[in-house]
Amino acid sequence: MTKSAIRRRRFLALMGAGTAAAAFASPVGCGMRRRNQGSAANARDVAAVIPKYMPIELLAPDIPGEGLIPNGYLHYPTHLVDAITDKPGRSGRVITTMSPAWGPNPPGPSRNAYLTAVNRELGVPINPSVQDGNTYADKLSAVLGARDVPHLLCVPSWDIDKIPRFSQAVKALFEDLTEYLRGDAIEAYPMLATLPTLAWQYAVWSGRLAAVPYPNSGPFPWALFYRKDLTDRAGVAAPKTIDELYDFGKRMTDPSKGVWAFGNVFNMVQMFFKCPGTKGGWRKKAGGGLEFKFETVEFRQAVEFTARLFHEEMVHPDVVASKGADAKQLFCAGKMIAWEDGVGAWRGMQSEQSKVTRGFDMHPVPVFSAVGGTPSVWGGGEPLFYTFVKKGLGKERTEEVLRVLNWCAAPFGSKEYELCLYGVEGKHFTRAADGSPAPTDLFSQELAAPPQYSILGGRAAVEVATADVPSYVKDLLAYTRATLPYLEPDLFRGIKVELPPNYSKTIGTSEDKVNDVLRGRRPVSDLDAIVREWRNTGGDEGRAFLEKILADNGR
Amino acid sequence: MNRHDVNKSPGARLGMRLRRDWPLLLMTAPAALLLLVFHYVPTLGNVIAFQDYNPFEGDNPLEAFVFSEWIGLGNFETLFYDRAFWEAVQNTLSITLFQLVFFFPLPVGLAILLHSVGSSRLRAFVQGVIYLPHFFSWVLVITFFVQMFGGAGLLAQQLRHHGVEPWNIMANPETFILLVTSEAVWKDVGWGTIVFLAALSSIDPTLYEAAAADGAGRWRRLWHITLPALRPVVVLLLILRLGDALNVGFEQYILQREAVGRQAAEVLDTFVFYQAIIPQQWGLGAAAGLFKGVVGLVLIVSANKIAHFIGEQGVYQKT
Repeated sequence: MTKSAIRRRRFLALMGAGTAAAAFASPVGCGMRRRNQGSAANARDVAAVIPKYMPIELLAPDIPGEGLIPNGYLHYPTHLVDAITDKPGRSGRVITTMSPAWGPNPPGPSRNAYLTAVNRELGVPINPSVQDGNTYADKLSAVLGARDVPHLLCVPSWDIDKIPRFSQAVKALFEDLTEYLRGDAIEAYPMLATLPTLAWQYAVWSGRLAAVPYPNSGPFPWALFYRKDLTDRAGVAAPKTIDELYDFGKRMTDPSKGVWAFGNVFNMVQMFFKCPGTKGGWRKKAGGGLEFKFETVEFRQAVEFTARLFHEEMVHPDVVASKGADAKQLFCAGKMIAWEDGVGAWRGMQSEQSKVTRGFDMHPVPVFSAVGGTPSVWGGGEPLFYTFVKKGLGKERTEEVLRVLNWCAAPFGSKEYELCLYGVEGKHFTRAADGSPAPTDLFSQELAAPPQYSILGGRAAVEVATADVPSYVKDLLAYTRATLPYLEPDLFRGIKVELPPNYSKTIGTSEDKVNDVLRGRRPVSDLDAIVREWRNTGGDEGRAFLEKILADNGR
Repeated sequence: MNRHDVNKSPGARLGMRLRRDWPLLLMTAPAALLLLVFHYVPTLGNVIAFQDYNPFEGDNPLEAFVFSEWIGLGNFETLFYDRAFWEAVQNTLSITLFQLVFFFPLPVGLAILLHSVGSSRLRAFVQGVIYLPHFFSWVLVITFFVQMFGGAGLLAQQLRHHGVEPWNIMANPETFILLVTSEAVWKDVGWGTIVFLAALSSIDPTLYEAAAADGAGRWRRLWHITLPALRPVVVLLLILRLGDALNVGFEQYILQREAVGRQAAEVLDTFVFYQAIIPQQWGLGAAAGLFKGVVGLVLIVSANKIAHFIGEQGVYQKT
């Protein structure tokens, strides 16, 4: 008998359960709880269920996009098209929704002119529930577990891998949209047909079309933003090497003025050290098989570097002491000079802050490699969000809900697009000299970030120059073009991967432990132990699972 | 009930008592209903502690209970072999013990001090001030502490201005127990005095007068009259607190977990949240909850027994 078996017996005896219970419980240790093993659908099966692509180009772009780069527009159109003439809603019954927002919560339906205006346009009242985006996964877990989902549920793609049994939840709680949208059926929803095929490919679970995707406007999940106005004034240039990043931290940190150089930067530091990022951090090993970022030298270097930033107090104390919810405010107030965020944060923040702080100028630090060679950047074509429809609403109601998503998907150049993203003229925005919308204070109060209806369902991504952020589109597209060549190739491109639950579970706990190392609560030498625990609690299971998928697909 | 009633049939007796007591029954009905719906019915959900509960089985939540796999004591086994669980238990118990010694006596002392304040207006004012923090949420209390004592807070910035390197108060795992206790004291010490003040006001003033007439000084009166009068209340609260030994709160710890890390801030409730609810290990969470409940029950029963043994009333008594 092994040592652990003896201990198991002893514990049961201690519990007063006796030998009968020991006999009853002993098979449990042998893996009775491993049934759902994750799954993957190959590219061909996925192609069979996705909708036809029928683009609508209401305006010719000034900077045409290609692949993962969206179309760019440098002028706001003077004439907007009424793209949807029929009212999407007919039943008059309330549609409930849940979606994330980053920042203060907007007021509810009776006190919100934006909601009133859009609901009038939709012809059906939508009652939204807006939740904090930073802790959205926690909320999702509870909502899914209680099987208490709203009619429309918005799920960020990065939260999905953290939720074990997500594909089972999809099957149990959400409507199978395949027959509504597959192939030519999408013609009933012409705006949804403008969403790119790549985005739809990801919206397939267990071989069925399960959600409407929100296409990302760029391939990168993170950028390292810095306050160019403040660094220029201090005579410090944007870092081009890892040593310069360290010097940047030293020179920009001034505790006596309440200013620290960094917020959270660990994801970007990992990229600078060229840690792998595919499916959370996998790459092919030289001798065959896969290795996870935790197991690489690069990751250790990234941890050492970041831990040094924490140890030498270049990170804002409030960021050290919280999950970073206030980071945006610290950055806007100039109390923190650089931190990583989604690229999508750029526009809204630049627009809002240029009204508050004269000369406010944020930019992404161009990527570089800390370990020689060309840089490597995480990213890909995965949608930002997915919108799921509650199961069992009935055909008519499901169609009505899909028409609402169709409305949300109206492309740039339409009146619907403007109302959805900017609200009502005269209330939420005024016209700048060039005719583009200039957001008012009511905009920030009522629309939430991102605007509530805009996040409900996605649309074909574009980048539009407006007077409030004059140089933004050029800057963004230049950054995207410069960074795109370094995009790490996706080993699983075109394959829909649903991770095994044990692997999903171990992600959060391992990140917690790495966090302890970064903040100096555990020595860097503990990484070995952390990797060992990760391997034993689901990491190796995940590896075997992903290796098999690659083998099955001949990669 | 008189002898006449005893001769009647049980049904008739019940009917009579219903007729007599219906206003009382009606008054307790809402509370009983509340207890039933929010305590007794959810208690049935504890079955998932013995299941690999999967909320997505079947077509509705009830079917999910029925169809989920029975795994006997599997969840308890996972739990008891998890080092993180015992670390959470240890943290919880350390905090409870620490607060029992350094927090529990404070309201008693404060109540005695307040009781001795002569001016009733002054007393009402002080009470108002010290009760107030109780009504703040933990989010507010911790934000307040961070703004005052955090690395970029008022104290740290003042020290920096005077050329002193501020010490780490809010993000130091070693002194975390002191920090949470100070926060709890600031928030709840005033509120804790209420019960003791009530007990103090029920002491017959003639006792003090008689003792004073017999030449007893301030300390003797405190020792022989005030403290004995408070003893039943202190014992009662102590027993209740023991039953709650594995409950030290949730928000206070979840809000500060990032600052000091899991090792210092993981208590049983946050363990359940991070290891069971977020990764959807519902069975494991229920097992941890059940464990907590059983330990609490054992503690309460034994503390009550000890109280009887030393001649106190305790929380309840067999009649």
